[in-house]
Amino acid sequence: MSVMTEPATIQESPVTAPAAPPAQKSATKSGLPKQLGFLRPAYWLPLAVLLVALGFLWTITAADSPYLLPPLASVGEALAANPGFYLSNAWATLAVALVGLAIGFVASFILAVLVSELPIARRAIMPIAVVLSVTPLVAIAPALVVAFGFGPEPKLIVTALICFFPILINVATGLRSVSPAVLQVFTTLHASRLEMLWHVRMPSALPYLFTALRVVFPLSIIGAVVAELSAPGAAEGLGTVISVASSNNRLAVVYAAILCLAIMGSLLLLIITAIEDRVLHWHESRQGATS
Amino acid sequence: MTLTSPSAPTSAPSSTADSISIRGAVKIYGSGASQHVALQNVDVDIKRGQFVSIIGPSGCGKSTLLRLIAGLETADSGTAEVFGVTPERACAAKMIGLVPQAPALLPWKDVLGNVSMPAKVNRRADKLRRRIHGHLERPAPDMLDLLGKAGLTDAVHKLPAQLSGGMQQRTAIVRAFGVQPDVLLMDEPFSALDEFTRESIQEQLLDIWDENKTTVVFVTHSVSEAVRLSDKVLVMSARPGRITASVDITLPRPRSQAMLKTAEFHHFEDVIRDHLQTAWQENPITGSTPIPAGAAQ
Repeated sequence: MSVMTEPATIQESPVTAPAAPPAQKSATKSGLPKQLGFLRPAYWLPLAVLLVALGFLWTITAADSPYLLPPLASVGEALAANPGFYLSNAWATLAVALVGLAIGFVASFILAVLVSELPIARRAIMPIAVVLSVTPLVAIAPALVVAFGFGPEPKLIVTALICFFPILINVATGLRSVSPAVLQVFTTLHASRLEMLWHVRMPSALPYLFTALRVVFPLSIIGAVVAELSAPGAAEGLGTVISVASSNNRLAVVYAAILCLAIMGSLLLLIITAIEDRVLHWHESRQGATS
Repeated sequence: MTLTSPSAPTSAPSSTADSISIRGAVKIYGSGASQHVALQNVDVDIKRGQFVSIIGPSGCGKSTLLRLIAGLETADSGTAEVFGVTPERACAAKMIGLVPQAPALLPWKDVLGNVSMPAKVNRRADKLRRRIHGHLERPAPDMLDLLGKAGLTDAVHKLPAQLSGGMQQRTAIVRAFGVQPDVLLMDEPFSALDEFTRESIQEQLLDIWDENKTTVVFVTHSVSEAVRLSDKVLVMSARPGRITASVDITLPRPRSQAMLKTAEFHHFEDVIRDHLQTAWQENPITGSTPIPAGAAQ
Protein backbone atom coordinates (compact mmCIF):
# COMPACT_ATOMS: atom_id res chain seq x y z
CA MET A 1 0.00 0.00 0.00
CA SER A 2 2.81 2.33 -0.85
CA VAL A 3 0.43 4.76 -2.52
CA MET A 4 -0.97 5.51 0.89
CA THR A 5 1.99 7.73 1.51
CA GLU A 6 0.80 10.17 -1.10
CA PRO A 7 1.20 13.72 0.08
CA ALA A 8 -1.65 14.90 2.22
CA THR A 9 -0.91 18.53 1.61
CA ILE A 10 -4.08 19.11 -0.30
CA GLN A 11 -6.63 20.84 1.81
CA GLU A 12 -9.98 19.56 2.99
CA SER A 13 -11.93 22.39 1.53
CA PRO A 14 -10.76 25.14 -0.77
CA VAL A 15 -12.83 27.72 1.08
CA THR A 16 -11.07 27.40 4.39
CA ALA A 17 -7.38 26.72 4.08
CA PRO A 18 -6.34 24.70 7.13
CA ALA A 19 -3.11 23.29 5.73
CA ALA A 20 -1.79 26.61 4.47
CA PRO A 21 1.14 28.05 6.37
CA PRO A 22 -0.13 30.18 9.25
CA ALA A 23 1.57 33.30 7.96
CA GLN A 24 -0.47 33.07 4.79
CA LYS A 25 -3.72 32.18 6.43
CA SER A 26 -4.04 34.29 9.51
CA ALA A 27 -2.12 37.43 8.77
CA THR A 28 -0.18 39.23 6.12
CA LYS A 29 3.04 41.14 6.67
CA SER A 30 1.18 44.21 7.86
CA GLY A 31 -0.77 42.12 10.35
CA LEU A 32 -4.01 42.11 8.41
CA PRO A 33 -6.06 38.93 8.04
CA LYS A 34 -5.91 37.36 4.59
CA GLN A 35 -9.51 38.34 3.83
CA LEU A 36 -8.57 42.00 4.34
CA GLY A 37 -5.43 41.75 2.23
CA PHE A 38 -6.85 44.36 -0.11
CA LEU A 39 -6.28 46.98 2.61
CA ARG A 40 -2.54 46.72 2.00
CA PRO A 41 -1.15 49.78 0.19
CA ALA A 42 0.48 47.59 -2.46
CA TYR A 43 -3.01 46.46 -3.31
CA TRP A 44 -4.90 49.73 -3.62
CA LEU A 45 -2.18 52.30 -4.21
CA PRO A 46 -1.74 51.81 -8.00
CA LEU A 47 -5.48 52.20 -8.50
CA ALA A 48 -5.67 55.21 -6.20
CA VAL A 49 -2.81 56.95 -8.02
CA LEU A 50 -4.43 56.35 -11.38
CA LEU A 51 -7.80 57.61 -10.10
CA VAL A 52 -6.25 60.78 -8.73
CA ALA A 53 -4.47 61.36 -12.04
CA LEU A 54 -7.68 60.82 -14.01
CA GLY A 55 -9.60 63.09 -11.64
CA PHE A 56 -6.95 65.75 -12.15
CA LEU A 57 -7.23 65.46 -15.95
CA TRP A 58 -11.02 65.58 -15.69
CA THR A 59 -10.91 68.70 -13.55
CA ILE A 60 -8.56 70.46 -16.00
CA THR A 61 -10.76 69.51 -18.96
CA ALA A 62 -13.93 70.50 -17.13
CA ALA A 63 -12.49 73.90 -16.16
CA ASP A 64 -11.38 74.48 -19.75
CA SER A 65 -14.54 73.34 -21.52
CA PRO A 66 -17.52 72.70 -19.22
CA TYR A 67 -19.69 71.58 -22.16
CA LEU A 68 -17.39 68.53 -22.57
CA LEU A 69 -17.28 67.38 -18.96
CA PRO A 70 -19.03 68.76 -15.89
CA PRO A 71 -16.77 69.64 -12.94
CA LEU A 72 -16.50 66.69 -10.57
CA ALA A 73 -17.78 68.83 -7.74
CA SER A 74 -20.99 69.56 -9.64
CA VAL A 75 -21.57 65.84 -10.19
CA GLY A 76 -21.14 65.33 -6.47
CA GLU A 77 -23.48 68.20 -5.75
CA ALA A 78 -26.10 66.79 -8.09
CA LEU A 79 -25.93 63.49 -6.22
CA ALA A 80 -25.87 65.06 -2.78
CA ALA A 81 -28.70 67.50 -3.52
CA ASN A 82 -31.18 64.75 -4.24
CA PRO A 83 -29.93 61.27 -3.31
CA GLY A 84 -33.47 59.89 -3.08
CA PHE A 85 -34.10 60.81 -6.71
CA TYR A 86 -31.13 58.79 -7.94
CA LEU A 87 -31.84 55.94 -5.57
CA SER A 88 -35.44 55.51 -6.68
CA ASN A 89 -34.52 55.76 -10.35
CA ALA A 90 -31.64 53.35 -9.88
CA TRP A 91 -34.04 50.98 -8.19
CA ALA A 92 -36.48 51.27 -11.10
CA THR A 93 -33.74 50.40 -13.58
CA LEU A 94 -32.39 47.61 -11.40
CA ALA A 95 -35.84 46.09 -11.04
CA VAL A 96 -36.31 46.04 -14.82
CA ALA A 97 -32.82 44.60 -15.29
CA LEU A 98 -33.27 41.82 -12.74
CA VAL A 99 -36.80 40.85 -13.74
CA GLY A 100 -35.79 40.85 -17.41
CA LEU A 101 -32.75 38.78 -16.51
CA ALA A 102 -34.88 36.31 -14.58
CA ILE A 103 -37.27 35.91 -17.51
CA GLY A 104 -34.39 35.47 -19.94
CA PHE A 105 -32.70 33.03 -17.61
CA VAL A 106 -35.70 30.76 -17.14
CA ALA A 107 -36.57 30.77 -20.83
CA SER A 108 -33.02 30.18 -22.04
CA PHE A 109 -32.29 27.50 -19.45
CA ILE A 110 -35.37 25.50 -20.41
CA LEU A 111 -34.51 25.88 -24.07
CA ALA A 112 -30.89 24.86 -23.41
CA VAL A 113 -32.05 21.63 -21.78
CA LEU A 114 -34.42 21.00 -24.68
CA VAL A 115 -31.72 21.71 -27.24
CA SER A 116 -29.18 19.48 -25.55
CA GLU A 117 -31.59 16.59 -25.10
CA LEU A 118 -33.34 16.62 -28.45
CA PRO A 119 -31.23 16.77 -31.62
CA ILE A 120 -34.32 17.88 -33.56
CA ALA A 121 -34.79 20.86 -31.28
CA ARG A 122 -31.09 21.66 -31.57
CA ARG A 123 -31.15 21.68 -35.36
CA ALA A 124 -34.27 23.82 -35.40
CA ILE A 125 -33.44 26.32 -32.68
CA MET A 126 -29.70 26.86 -32.68
CA PRO A 127 -29.38 28.51 -36.14
CA ILE A 128 -32.08 31.01 -35.20
CA ALA A 129 -30.45 31.57 -31.84
CA VAL A 130 -27.09 32.29 -33.43
CA VAL A 131 -28.52 34.70 -35.99
CA LEU A 132 -30.49 36.56 -33.31
CA SER A 133 -27.49 36.65 -31.04
CA VAL A 134 -25.41 38.52 -33.63
CA THR A 135 -28.28 40.93 -34.31
CA PRO A 136 -27.83 44.10 -32.22
CA LEU A 137 -30.89 43.66 -30.05
CA VAL A 138 -30.72 47.21 -28.74
CA ALA A 139 -31.89 48.19 -32.21
CA ILE A 140 -35.27 46.60 -31.70
CA ALA A 141 -35.93 48.58 -28.53
CA PRO A 142 -37.61 51.52 -30.39
CA ALA A 143 -39.80 49.06 -32.31
CA LEU A 144 -40.87 47.42 -29.07
CA VAL A 145 -41.70 50.79 -27.57
CA VAL A 146 -43.93 51.47 -30.58
CA ALA A 147 -45.59 48.08 -30.07
CA PHE A 148 -45.93 48.02 -26.29
CA GLY A 149 -45.88 51.65 -25.24
CA PHE A 150 -44.02 53.20 -22.33
CA GLY A 151 -44.81 50.53 -19.78
CA PRO A 152 -42.37 47.94 -18.47
CA GLU A 153 -43.03 45.41 -21.26
CA PRO A 154 -40.57 46.65 -23.90
CA LYS A 155 -37.87 47.09 -21.27
CA LEU A 156 -38.34 43.59 -19.92
CA ILE A 157 -38.40 42.11 -23.42
CA VAL A 158 -35.17 43.84 -24.46
CA THR A 159 -33.42 42.88 -21.23
CA ALA A 160 -34.62 39.29 -21.41
CA LEU A 161 -33.57 38.99 -25.06
CA ILE A 162 -30.10 40.40 -24.36
CA CYS A 163 -29.60 37.91 -21.51
CA PHE A 164 -31.11 35.05 -23.45
CA PHE A 165 -28.44 34.02 -25.90
CA PRO A 166 -25.30 33.99 -23.80
CA ILE A 167 -27.10 31.74 -21.31
CA LEU A 168 -28.64 29.50 -23.97
CA ILE A 169 -25.38 28.92 -25.82
CA ASN A 170 -23.26 28.44 -22.70
CA VAL A 171 -25.66 26.14 -20.88
CA ALA A 172 -26.35 24.08 -24.00
CA THR A 173 -22.60 23.65 -24.42
CA GLY A 174 -22.16 22.87 -20.73
CA LEU A 175 -24.87 20.22 -20.69
CA ARG A 176 -23.04 18.44 -23.48
CA SER A 177 -19.59 18.83 -21.94
CA VAL A 178 -19.78 15.59 -19.94
CA SER A 179 -16.89 13.26 -20.76
CA PRO A 180 -17.72 10.06 -22.68
CA ALA A 181 -16.25 7.94 -19.88
CA VAL A 182 -18.67 9.41 -17.32
CA LEU A 183 -21.55 8.86 -19.71
CA GLN A 184 -20.49 5.24 -20.18
CA VAL A 185 -20.38 4.62 -16.44
CA PHE A 186 -23.87 6.02 -16.00
CA THR A 187 -25.15 4.21 -19.09
CA THR A 188 -24.05 0.87 -17.68
CA LEU A 189 -25.91 1.81 -14.48
CA HIS A 190 -28.95 2.40 -16.66
CA ALA A 191 -29.49 5.89 -15.27
CA SER A 192 -32.55 7.53 -16.77
CA ARG A 193 -32.24 10.66 -18.88
CA LEU A 194 -33.70 12.70 -16.07
CA GLU A 195 -31.22 11.27 -13.56
CA MET A 196 -28.39 11.88 -16.00
CA LEU A 197 -29.59 15.45 -16.46
CA TRP A 198 -29.95 16.15 -12.77
CA HIS A 199 -26.94 14.30 -11.37
CA VAL A 200 -24.45 14.68 -14.20
CA ARG A 201 -25.30 17.15 -16.94
CA MET A 202 -26.59 20.09 -14.91
CA PRO A 203 -23.69 20.20 -12.45
CA SER A 204 -21.32 19.88 -15.42
CA ALA A 205 -23.01 22.89 -16.99
CA LEU A 206 -22.64 25.09 -13.88
CA PRO A 207 -19.21 26.53 -14.78
CA TYR A 208 -20.57 27.40 -18.22
CA LEU A 209 -23.67 28.93 -16.68
CA PHE A 210 -21.62 31.18 -14.42
CA THR A 211 -19.45 32.28 -17.31
CA ALA A 212 -22.66 33.38 -18.99
CA LEU A 213 -24.02 35.01 -15.82
CA ARG A 214 -20.89 37.10 -15.37
CA VAL A 215 -21.51 38.50 -18.84
CA VAL A 216 -25.26 38.71 -18.53
CA PHE A 217 -25.64 40.45 -15.15
CA PRO A 218 -24.02 43.68 -16.36
CA LEU A 219 -25.67 43.20 -19.77
CA SER A 220 -29.08 43.24 -18.14
CA ILE A 221 -28.47 46.81 -16.99
CA ILE A 222 -27.42 47.79 -20.50
CA GLY A 223 -30.64 46.28 -21.80
CA ALA A 224 -32.76 48.13 -19.29
CA VAL A 225 -31.05 51.49 -19.92
CA VAL A 226 -31.25 51.15 -23.70
CA ALA A 227 -34.96 50.42 -23.46
CA GLU A 228 -35.44 53.44 -21.18
CA LEU A 229 -33.51 55.66 -23.57
CA SER A 230 -35.77 54.51 -26.41
CA ALA A 231 -38.89 55.34 -24.43
CA PRO A 232 -38.36 59.00 -23.60
CA GLY A 233 -41.82 59.37 -22.16
CA ALA A 234 -41.21 56.75 -19.51
CA ALA A 235 -41.67 57.94 -15.96
CA GLU A 236 -38.61 56.61 -14.22
CA GLY A 237 -35.30 54.83 -14.52
CA LEU A 238 -31.76 56.09 -14.86
CA GLY A 239 -31.99 55.81 -18.66
CA THR A 240 -34.91 58.23 -18.58
CA VAL A 241 -32.99 60.53 -16.21
CA ILE A 242 -30.05 60.58 -18.63
CA SER A 243 -32.17 61.25 -21.69
CA VAL A 244 -34.17 64.03 -20.01
CA ALA A 245 -31.14 65.66 -18.39
CA SER A 246 -29.05 65.60 -21.56
CA SER A 247 -31.82 67.24 -23.56
CA ASN A 248 -31.81 69.94 -20.88
CA ASN A 249 -28.03 70.28 -21.02
CA ARG A 250 -27.68 69.24 -17.38
CA LEU A 251 -24.42 67.40 -17.80
CA ALA A 252 -23.80 66.99 -14.07
CA VAL A 253 -27.04 65.01 -13.68
CA VAL A 254 -26.16 62.84 -16.70
CA TYR A 255 -22.82 61.91 -15.17
CA ALA A 256 -24.33 61.37 -11.75
CA ALA A 257 -26.74 58.87 -13.31
CA ILE A 258 -23.89 57.21 -15.22
CA LEU A 259 -21.94 56.91 -11.98
CA CYS A 260 -24.95 55.20 -10.41
CA LEU A 261 -25.12 52.76 -13.33
CA ALA A 262 -21.42 51.99 -13.04
CA ILE A 263 -21.79 51.27 -9.33
CA MET A 264 -24.83 49.07 -9.96
CA GLY A 265 -23.05 47.07 -12.64
CA SER A 266 -20.00 46.58 -10.43
CA LEU A 267 -22.13 45.45 -7.51
CA LEU A 268 -23.94 42.92 -9.66
CA LEU A 269 -20.63 41.59 -10.96
CA LEU A 270 -19.33 41.36 -7.41
CA ILE A 271 -22.41 39.47 -6.24
CA ILE A 272 -22.36 36.97 -9.08
CA THR A 273 -18.63 36.37 -8.64
CA ALA A 274 -19.13 35.75 -4.93
CA ILE A 275 -21.92 33.26 -5.63
CA GLU A 276 -19.79 31.59 -8.27
CA ASP A 277 -16.93 31.16 -5.82
CA ARG A 278 -19.28 29.46 -3.40
CA VAL A 279 -21.03 27.20 -5.87
CA LEU A 280 -18.02 26.22 -7.96
CA HIS A 281 -15.55 25.64 -5.15
CA TRP A 282 -14.97 22.17 -6.61
CA HIS A 283 -13.96 23.43 -10.02
CA GLU A 284 -10.34 23.08 -11.19
CA SER A 285 -10.04 26.82 -11.67
CA ARG A 286 -10.53 27.25 -7.91
CA GLN A 287 -8.40 24.38 -6.69
CA GLY A 288 -5.14 26.25 -7.09
CA ALA A 289 -6.37 29.57 -5.76
CA THR A 290 -6.47 28.68 -2.08
CA SER A 291 -3.67 26.14 -1.83
CA MET B 1 -13.91 -21.04 -20.15
CA THR B 2 -14.12 -22.66 -23.53
CA LEU B 3 -12.72 -21.34 -26.71
CA THR B 4 -13.65 -22.46 -30.16
CA SER B 5 -11.77 -21.46 -33.25
CA PRO B 6 -13.97 -19.83 -35.90
CA SER B 7 -13.95 -22.94 -38.07
CA ALA B 8 -14.75 -25.45 -35.36
CA PRO B 9 -18.42 -26.21 -34.72
CA THR B 10 -19.73 -24.25 -31.80
CA SER B 11 -20.95 -26.46 -29.04
CA ALA B 12 -24.32 -25.37 -27.77
CA PRO B 13 -24.00 -23.72 -24.36
CA SER B 14 -25.69 -25.83 -21.71
CA SER B 15 -26.66 -22.97 -19.44
CA THR B 16 -25.57 -19.36 -19.70
CA ALA B 17 -27.12 -18.30 -16.42
CA ASP B 18 -23.83 -18.85 -14.69
CA SER B 19 -21.46 -17.32 -17.20
CA ILE B 20 -20.85 -14.45 -19.53
CA SER B 21 -21.17 -15.86 -22.96
CA ILE B 22 -20.46 -14.37 -26.35
CA ARG B 23 -21.25 -16.42 -29.44
CA GLY B 24 -20.09 -15.65 -32.95
CA ALA B 25 -19.76 -11.93 -32.30
CA VAL B 26 -18.97 -9.86 -35.36
CA LYS B 27 -18.40 -6.13 -35.24
CA ILE B 28 -17.38 -4.15 -38.28
CA TYR B 29 -16.68 -0.43 -38.26
CA GLY B 30 -16.88 1.65 -41.42
CA SER B 31 -17.37 0.30 -44.89
CA GLY B 32 -15.51 -0.15 -48.17
CA ALA B 33 -11.78 0.53 -48.12
CA SER B 34 -11.83 1.96 -44.60
CA GLN B 35 -13.64 -1.09 -43.26
CA HIS B 36 -12.25 -2.34 -40.01
CA VAL B 37 -13.20 -5.73 -38.63
CA ALA B 38 -13.04 -5.16 -34.89
CA LEU B 39 -14.38 -8.59 -34.00
CA GLN B 40 -14.57 -11.61 -36.28
CA ASN B 41 -16.63 -14.49 -35.04
CA VAL B 42 -15.53 -14.24 -31.44
CA ASP B 43 -16.70 -16.81 -28.90
CA VAL B 44 -16.07 -16.23 -25.22
CA ASP B 45 -17.24 -17.95 -22.08
CA ILE B 46 -16.40 -16.51 -18.70
CA LYS B 47 -17.53 -18.42 -15.64
CA ARG B 48 -18.80 -16.70 -12.54
CA GLY B 49 -16.08 -15.66 -10.16
CA GLN B 50 -13.30 -15.78 -12.75
CA PHE B 51 -10.80 -13.00 -13.25
CA VAL B 52 -10.23 -12.90 -17.00
CA SER B 53 -7.87 -10.54 -18.77
CA ILE B 54 -8.00 -9.69 -22.45
CA ILE B 55 -4.65 -8.70 -23.91
CA GLY B 56 -3.61 -7.75 -27.40
CA PRO B 57 -2.16 -5.02 -29.58
CA SER B 58 -4.00 -1.76 -30.21
CA GLY B 59 -6.97 -2.15 -32.48
CA CYS B 60 -7.45 -5.86 -31.82
CA GLY B 61 -10.98 -5.26 -30.62
CA LYS B 62 -10.44 -5.95 -26.93
CA SER B 63 -12.20 -2.77 -25.88
CA THR B 64 -14.97 -3.48 -28.37
CA LEU B 65 -15.42 -6.88 -26.75
CA LEU B 66 -15.68 -5.24 -23.35
CA ARG B 67 -18.15 -2.65 -24.61
CA LEU B 68 -20.21 -5.47 -26.08
CA ILE B 69 -20.53 -7.07 -22.65
CA ALA B 70 -21.30 -3.67 -21.14
CA GLY B 71 -24.13 -3.12 -23.58
CA LEU B 72 -22.46 0.04 -24.83
CA GLU B 73 -22.31 -1.48 -28.30
CA THR B 74 -24.28 -4.12 -30.14
CA ALA B 75 -22.73 -6.78 -32.33
CA ASP B 76 -23.45 -6.81 -36.05
CA SER B 77 -24.14 -10.51 -35.64
CA GLY B 78 -23.81 -13.01 -32.84
CA THR B 79 -25.10 -12.87 -29.30
CA ALA B 80 -23.90 -11.63 -25.96
CA GLU B 81 -25.35 -12.79 -22.68
CA VAL B 82 -24.44 -11.76 -19.18
CA PHE B 83 -25.48 -14.48 -16.74
CA GLY B 84 -28.45 -15.45 -18.84
CA VAL B 85 -29.74 -12.00 -19.79
CA THR B 86 -28.90 -9.48 -22.47
CA PRO B 87 -26.31 -6.81 -21.63
CA GLU B 88 -29.03 -4.15 -21.73
CA ARG B 89 -31.09 -6.02 -19.17
CA ALA B 90 -27.99 -6.63 -17.08
CA CYS B 91 -27.37 -2.88 -17.05
CA ALA B 92 -30.99 -2.22 -16.10
CA ALA B 93 -30.47 -4.52 -13.11
CA LYS B 94 -27.12 -2.88 -12.26
CA MET B 95 -25.35 -6.19 -12.73
CA ILE B 96 -22.44 -4.51 -14.48
CA GLY B 97 -19.79 -2.30 -12.91
CA LEU B 98 -17.63 -0.35 -15.35
CA VAL B 99 -14.19 1.07 -14.64
CA PRO B 100 -13.11 3.06 -17.68
CA GLN B 101 -9.59 4.10 -18.59
CA ALA B 102 -10.13 7.60 -17.21
CA PRO B 103 -11.49 7.59 -13.63
CA ALA B 104 -14.62 9.43 -14.80
CA LEU B 105 -15.46 10.84 -11.38
CA LEU B 106 -17.85 13.71 -10.83
CA PRO B 107 -15.60 16.65 -9.89
CA TRP B 108 -18.22 18.34 -7.68
CA LYS B 109 -18.73 15.28 -5.48
CA ASP B 110 -16.25 14.19 -2.85
CA VAL B 111 -14.97 10.62 -2.80
CA LEU B 112 -17.87 9.34 -0.70
CA GLY B 113 -20.36 11.21 -2.86
CA ASN B 114 -18.88 9.70 -5.98
CA VAL B 115 -18.91 6.10 -4.77
CA SER B 116 -22.48 6.54 -3.46
CA MET B 117 -23.68 7.88 -6.79
CA PRO B 118 -24.61 4.52 -8.40
CA ALA B 119 -27.07 3.86 -5.57
CA LYS B 120 -28.86 7.14 -6.35
CA VAL B 121 -29.67 6.39 -9.95
CA ASN B 122 -31.87 3.65 -11.41
CA ARG B 123 -33.43 2.65 -8.12
CA ARG B 124 -35.69 0.15 -9.80
CA ALA B 125 -32.69 -2.08 -10.43
CA ASP B 126 -32.92 -3.77 -7.02
CA LYS B 127 -36.40 -5.03 -7.79
CA LEU B 128 -35.38 -6.17 -11.24
CA ARG B 129 -32.22 -7.99 -10.25
CA ARG B 130 -34.08 -10.19 -7.78
CA ARG B 131 -36.09 -11.54 -10.67
CA ILE B 132 -33.02 -12.35 -12.74
CA HIS B 133 -32.01 -15.96 -12.27
CA GLY B 134 -28.35 -15.35 -13.06
CA HIS B 135 -27.97 -12.58 -10.53
CA LEU B 136 -26.20 -13.43 -7.32
CA GLU B 137 -27.64 -11.36 -4.48
CA ARG B 138 -25.09 -10.01 -2.06
CA PRO B 139 -25.56 -7.60 0.80
CA ALA B 140 -24.89 -3.97 -0.09
CA PRO B 141 -21.36 -3.16 0.99
CA ASP B 142 -20.50 -0.55 3.59
CA MET B 143 -18.97 2.16 1.43
CA LEU B 144 -16.70 3.53 4.15
CA ASP B 145 -15.43 0.03 4.81
CA LEU B 146 -14.77 -0.52 1.12
CA LEU B 147 -13.04 2.85 0.83
CA GLY B 148 -10.88 1.86 3.77
CA LYS B 149 -9.84 -1.34 2.04
CA ALA B 150 -8.88 0.69 -0.98
CA GLY B 151 -6.73 2.90 1.25
CA LEU B 152 -8.98 5.92 0.85
CA THR B 153 -9.98 6.47 4.48
CA ASP B 154 -8.26 9.84 4.64
CA ALA B 155 -9.65 10.92 1.31
CA VAL B 156 -13.34 10.23 1.97
CA HIS B 157 -14.27 13.91 1.98
CA LYS B 158 -11.80 15.09 -0.62
CA LEU B 159 -12.74 16.24 -4.08
CA PRO B 160 -11.37 14.35 -7.09
CA ALA B 161 -9.18 17.34 -8.05
CA GLN B 162 -7.43 16.98 -4.70
CA LEU B 163 -6.50 13.34 -5.34
CA SER B 164 -3.63 11.75 -7.21
CA GLY B 165 -4.33 9.72 -10.34
CA GLY B 166 -3.98 6.48 -8.40
CA MET B 167 -6.44 7.57 -5.73
CA GLN B 168 -8.90 8.71 -8.38
CA GLN B 169 -8.76 5.34 -10.09
CA ARG B 170 -9.18 3.53 -6.77
CA THR B 171 -12.27 5.64 -6.14
CA ALA B 172 -13.60 4.57 -9.53
CA ILE B 173 -12.97 0.92 -8.62
CA VAL B 174 -14.77 1.27 -5.28
CA ARG B 175 -17.65 2.96 -7.09
CA ALA B 176 -17.90 -0.01 -9.47
CA PHE B 177 -17.74 -2.56 -6.64
CA GLY B 178 -20.29 -0.60 -4.65
CA VAL B 179 -23.36 -1.77 -6.57
CA GLN B 180 -22.33 -5.41 -5.97
CA PRO B 181 -22.25 -6.07 -9.69
CA ASP B 182 -22.18 -9.57 -11.07
CA VAL B 183 -19.35 -8.56 -13.35
CA LEU B 184 -16.76 -5.84 -13.17
CA LEU B 185 -15.60 -4.58 -16.56
CA MET B 186 -12.26 -2.80 -16.47
CA ASP B 187 -10.93 -1.11 -19.60
CA GLU B 188 -7.18 -0.55 -19.16
CA PRO B 189 -7.86 1.13 -15.83
CA PHE B 190 -4.24 1.43 -14.76
CA SER B 191 -2.65 2.38 -18.07
CA ALA B 192 -2.25 6.03 -17.11
CA LEU B 193 -0.57 5.29 -13.77
CA ASP B 194 3.12 5.04 -13.01
CA GLU B 195 4.70 1.66 -12.31
CA PHE B 196 4.75 1.92 -8.49
CA THR B 197 1.19 3.14 -8.19
CA ARG B 198 0.11 0.51 -10.66
CA GLU B 199 1.58 -2.38 -8.69
CA SER B 200 0.12 -1.32 -5.38
CA ILE B 201 -3.29 -0.63 -6.88
CA GLN B 202 -3.20 -4.11 -8.45
CA GLU B 203 -2.60 -5.49 -4.99
CA GLN B 204 -5.57 -3.60 -3.58
CA LEU B 205 -7.77 -4.70 -6.44
CA LEU B 206 -6.81 -8.31 -5.69
CA ASP B 207 -7.51 -7.79 -1.98
CA ILE B 208 -11.00 -6.52 -2.66
CA TRP B 209 -11.58 -9.16 -5.33
CA ASP B 210 -10.48 -11.96 -2.98
CA GLU B 211 -13.31 -11.01 -0.66
CA ASN B 212 -16.01 -10.51 -3.24
CA LYS B 213 -14.95 -12.94 -5.98
CA THR B 214 -16.83 -10.80 -8.43
CA THR B 215 -16.38 -11.88 -12.03
CA VAL B 216 -13.88 -9.49 -13.62
CA VAL B 217 -13.15 -8.85 -17.28
CA PHE B 218 -9.98 -6.83 -17.46
CA VAL B 219 -8.62 -5.30 -20.65
CA THR B 220 -4.92 -4.52 -20.53
CA HIS B 221 -1.80 -3.82 -22.57
CA SER B 222 0.51 -5.18 -19.94
CA VAL B 223 1.59 -8.82 -19.93
CA SER B 224 2.74 -8.84 -16.31
CA GLU B 225 -0.46 -7.13 -15.18
CA ALA B 226 -2.52 -9.78 -16.97
CA VAL B 227 -0.50 -12.63 -15.44
CA ARG B 228 -0.60 -11.22 -11.96
CA LEU B 229 -4.32 -10.55 -11.81
CA SER B 230 -5.95 -13.25 -13.87
CA ASP B 231 -7.22 -16.79 -13.70
CA LYS B 232 -7.29 -16.77 -17.45
CA VAL B 233 -5.74 -14.57 -20.13
CA LEU B 234 -7.30 -14.25 -23.57
CA VAL B 235 -4.81 -13.18 -26.23
CA MET B 236 -6.30 -11.24 -29.10
CA SER B 237 -4.94 -10.35 -32.47
CA ALA B 238 -5.85 -7.52 -34.81
CA ARG B 239 -7.12 -7.30 -38.38
CA PRO B 240 -9.45 -9.01 -37.99
CA GLY B 241 -9.96 -8.84 -34.26
CA ARG B 242 -10.08 -12.38 -32.90
CA ILE B 243 -9.03 -14.46 -29.92
CA THR B 244 -5.92 -16.46 -30.77
CA ALA B 245 -5.11 -18.10 -27.46
CA SER B 246 -6.41 -18.71 -23.98
CA VAL B 247 -3.90 -19.19 -21.19
CA ASP B 248 -4.83 -20.47 -17.75
CA ILE B 249 -2.75 -18.80 -15.07
CA THR B 250 -2.36 -21.48 -12.43
CA LEU B 251 -0.26 -19.42 -10.04
CA PRO B 252 -1.48 -19.71 -6.44
CA ARG B 253 -3.33 -16.86 -4.77
CA PRO B 254 -2.94 -14.52 -3.06
CA ARG B 255 -0.32 -13.21 -5.44
CA SER B 256 2.09 -11.01 -3.62
CA GLN B 257 4.53 -8.46 -4.93
CA ALA B 258 7.31 -11.04 -4.39
CA MET B 259 5.73 -13.46 -6.82
CA LEU B 260 6.44 -11.06 -9.67
CA LYS B 261 10.08 -12.15 -9.54
CA THR B 262 9.56 -15.92 -9.51
CA ALA B 263 10.36 -18.22 -12.41
CA GLU B 264 6.76 -19.43 -12.63
CA PHE B 265 5.55 -15.90 -13.06
CA HIS B 266 8.09 -15.30 -15.84
CA HIS B 267 7.09 -18.55 -17.46
CA PHE B 268 3.50 -17.34 -17.85
CA GLU B 269 4.69 -13.98 -19.09
CA ASP B 270 6.80 -15.72 -21.75
CA VAL B 271 3.91 -17.94 -22.82
CA ILE B 272 1.68 -14.92 -23.35
CA ARG B 273 4.40 -12.95 -25.12
CA ASP B 274 4.93 -15.91 -27.47
CA HIS B 275 1.22 -15.99 -28.23
CA LEU B 276 1.18 -12.26 -28.89
CA GLN B 277 4.15 -12.61 -31.19
CA THR B 278 2.69 -15.56 -33.06
CA ALA B 279 -0.56 -13.69 -33.51
CA TRP B 280 1.37 -10.78 -34.91
CA GLN B 281 3.38 -12.91 -37.34
CA GLU B 282 0.32 -14.75 -38.58
CA ASN B 283 -1.29 -11.47 -39.38
CA PRO B 284 -1.73 -11.24 -43.14
CA ILE B 285 -1.05 -7.52 -43.21
CA THR B 286 1.64 -6.92 -40.63
CA GLY B 287 3.15 -10.41 -40.76
CA SER B 288 6.45 -9.21 -42.22
CA THR B 289 7.26 -7.15 -39.16
CA PRO B 290 7.29 -9.38 -36.10
CA ILE B 291 6.71 -7.58 -32.86
CA PRO B 292 9.79 -7.37 -30.64
CA ALA B 293 9.52 -9.38 -27.47
CA GLY B 294 7.78 -7.45 -24.77
CA ALA B 295 6.74 -4.57 -26.99
CA ALA B 296 3.11 -5.51 -26.63
CA GLN B 297 3.09 -4.49 -23.02
